[in-house]
Amino acid sequence: MRLLVIEDDATLRESLAAKLAESGFAVEQAGDGKEGLYFALEYPIDLAIIDLGLPEVSGLDIIREARNQGKTYPILILTARDRWQDKVDGLDAGADDYVVKPFHVEEVTARVNALLRRSGGWASSTMTAGPVTLDMSRQELTVKDALIELTSFEYKIIEYLMIRAGEVISKTELTERLYDQDFERDSNVIEVFIGRLRKKMDPDNTIRPIETLRGRGYRFALERGQSG
Amino acid sequence: MSSLSARLLISVSVLLIFFFGVTIVVLDSAFRSAGEQAQEDILDGHLMALLAAAEPSAQGVLEMPPDLHEPRFGNIDSGLYAELRDDQGNIVWQSRSALGFDMPNGPRPRSGVRLFLEETLADGMPLLTLTLAVQWEFPDGELRPFVFKVAESLDSFNAQIAQFRRQLFGWFGAVALIMLLSISIMLRRLLRPLRRIEKEIVEIEDGQRESLSGQFPTELTGVARNLNLLIDSERARSERYKVTLDNLAHSLKTPLAAMRALLNQDKSDEFAKRFNEQIDRMDEIVRYQLRKPAASPADKFALTLVPVKHEVERLIDGLRKVYHDKQPAIAAEIADNMQFRGDSGDFLEIAGNLLDNACKWCKRHVLITIRPASGAGGMFLVVADDGPGIPADAAEALLQRGTRLDESTPGYGIGLAVVKELAESYGGRLDIGQSKLGGAEFRITIPSS
Repeated sequence: MRLLVIEDDATLRESLAAKLAESGFAVEQAGDGKEGLYFALEYPIDLAIIDLGLPEVSGLDIIREARNQGKTYPILILTARDRWQDKVDGLDAGADDYVVKPFHVEEVTARVNALLRRSGGWASSTMTAGPVTLDMSRQELTVKDALIELTSFEYKIIEYLMIRAGEVISKTELTERLYDQDFERDSNVIEVFIGRLRKKMDPDNTIRPIETLRGRGYRFALERGQSG
Repeated sequence: MSSLSARLLISVSVLLIFFFGVTIVVLDSAFRSAGEQAQEDILDGHLMALLAAAEPSAQGVLEMPPDLHEPRFGNIDSGLYAELRDDQGNIVWQSRSALGFDMPNGPRPRSGVRLFLEETLADGMPLLTLTLAVQWEFPDGELRPFVFKVAESLDSFNAQIAQFRRQLFGWFGAVALIMLLSISIMLRRLLRPLRRIEKEIVEIEDGQRESLSGQFPTELTGVARNLNLLIDSERARSERYKVTLDNLAHSLKTPLAAMRALLNQDKSDEFAKRFNEQIDRMDEIVRYQLRKPAASPADKFALTLVPVKHEVERLIDGLRKVYHDKQPAIAAEIADNMQFRGDSGDFLEIAGNLLDNACKWCKRHVLITIRPASGAGGMFLVVADDGPGIPADAAEALLQRGTRLDESTPGYGIGLAVVKELAESYGGRLDIGQSKLGGAEFRITIPSS
C-alpha cells in the first residue's frame, strides 16, 4: 500500500512516515501544499494523509482538487484546531476521516487500515473470503483456521489483493504500490512472491485463492464472506 | 427629553404660545378700544341730538319732546337711556326706555366738559355713560345749570368682544395646530434617514446585512462611513482573533504530535509512557486555553444568520463517513428555514460535539431536533441517542464539573465542556436527561437576544 503524507513539519512528517513504513506501507512525503498537490494528482497512491494547515496550497484545496480530478483514494486529515468547523469543511471537501493533533501514531495507523479496508468494501478489520481470513489489525492470515507464516512482503501482497478482492490488479500496480521507491522494480519478483503465496495458502491446489489473468495481472478470486 | 422631535415640537409649541399670546392681547385691546371709541361717538351724537331737541319752558325748566329722533329712547329697556337732571340732582326728564330704573348718579363734571364713564347698575348691568353739564340760557336771560346723561348698555358690546375673542382664539388655535402638524410631518421626513440608519444597524446585528447602504443625505454620509469602518474593523478583529488562535493551535500541536511520533511505541517503555502523559497534559492545556468561543454575542457585528438545516446536514454527512463501520442511523428534525443568530463555527461546535458523542455511544439511533425557541433568533436543540444513557447524578456531576480541566469523563470530556460554555456565552444552557430512544438526551436552549 502506497501512502502519501503531506505535512509541513519535517520532524512530524519524517517520524510519522518512518512509523508507517515500519507497519509495512510504502510512504511518499511532501513538505508543502504545492508539492503535496503534485504528488496527490500524479503519483499512484492508495491513501493520502493531509495536514490542514499547510503553506502554499491549503490542505482543503488539495482535497478538493484531488476529488475534482477524479481521485477516489481515501483521505485522512490531520488537524491541529479540533473545531468542528475545520473537520466538517475537510470532510465536506472530500476527506473520509480526521485525526486531531497531537495524535498517537497507532491511531493514525488504525485509521489508515480502516480506510483502506473500507475503500475495498470491507466492513470490519477481519476480512473473510471462504476459508481465508485476514486480520488487518494483527496482520495475520489464516486458511481453514490454520495460521500461515508470511514474510512482510508476502503479507503486503495478499493484503492488497484481498482488500481489492474481485478486482484485477496489474503487476505494475502491485510493484508501484508495494515497493518503496528505492527498491529495485522488477516485475519478475512479483511472480515469485505470488508463487510462494499460492504454495503457502493452498499447497494442495484446491481453493485457488489467487487467479492469474494472462497479460492483465492477478485477482483474489474467492467470494467475500464466510463459506461453509 | 431624549427625542429630537419631542424637543423641537416642545420648543415650537412654547414659541407659538408666546407669539400668539402677545398677538391675541394686542389685537384684543385694539379691537376693544376701537369699539369703545365708536360707542363714545355714538353716545356723543345722541347727546347732541338731545341738546338740540330740548326746549326751555316758561316755568324755567327744560322740556323734551315726546318723540325723539332715536326710537330706542322710546322703547322700554332698549339698552339706550337718557336723563336730564337739574342742579340739585333731581330728575327733570327721563327717556321712556329708562323708566323703572335709576341710573347711577355719578360724579358731575364741570360745566361744558364731557365725561365718559363705565358704570354699573344696581343689578350689575354695565353701562357706558356720557355726562355733560350745561348752563342753559333761558329766554328770560337767566342761565340755569342742567346735567344731561346718556347711557348705552355694554351687554351687546361685551357680547361682540367675546364673539371677537372666540373667533380670534379659534383661528389662532387652528393655525397653531396646522403649524405643529406640518412641523411634525417635516420632522418625520427630516429624520427618516436617521431611522433608516437605525434600522440598518439592527439588520447588521441580525446578520441580514453586511454594511450600511451608504445612501444618506450629505450630513449623514460621514457618520455612515465611519460606522461602516467601525463594523469592518470589528469584523476584522474578530477574524484576526480566530486566525491567531488557529495558528497558535497549529504551531503548538504540531510539535507535540512530532514528539509523540518520535517516542518509542513500546508500551513497556516507562520513559515513553511518562513522556506521553506530559504531552497529554500540554495538549489539554492548549485545547482548554484555545477553546474560547470565536464570537460571543457581545461581538454583535461578527454574527450571521446560520442556516441550521444545511449545516447539520453537512455535519451528518461528515459523521457518516467517520462512523462508517458503525453506521448509526442519524435522523434530523429541523424546520427548513430555521436560522440561528450567531457564529456558524459556534453552531457547528455545539451540534458537532453533541452528535459526535451520540454517535459514539448510541446502539444504532441518533436523533437531532432543532426548533426556534421563544422569539426570533432563539434555538432549542436536542440530541438524543439509544445508548447506555447517563444517570441523573452523573449528569449533574458532568455539568457541575463542566469546564474544569484536570479530569474528564472518557468519551465526553472537553467537548461537552465546550458545548456548555458556548451555550452559556449565548445566554443559554445545557441540560442532560433521559431520551425517549432510551439513551442520553442533551438539550441546548438559547434564548433570542
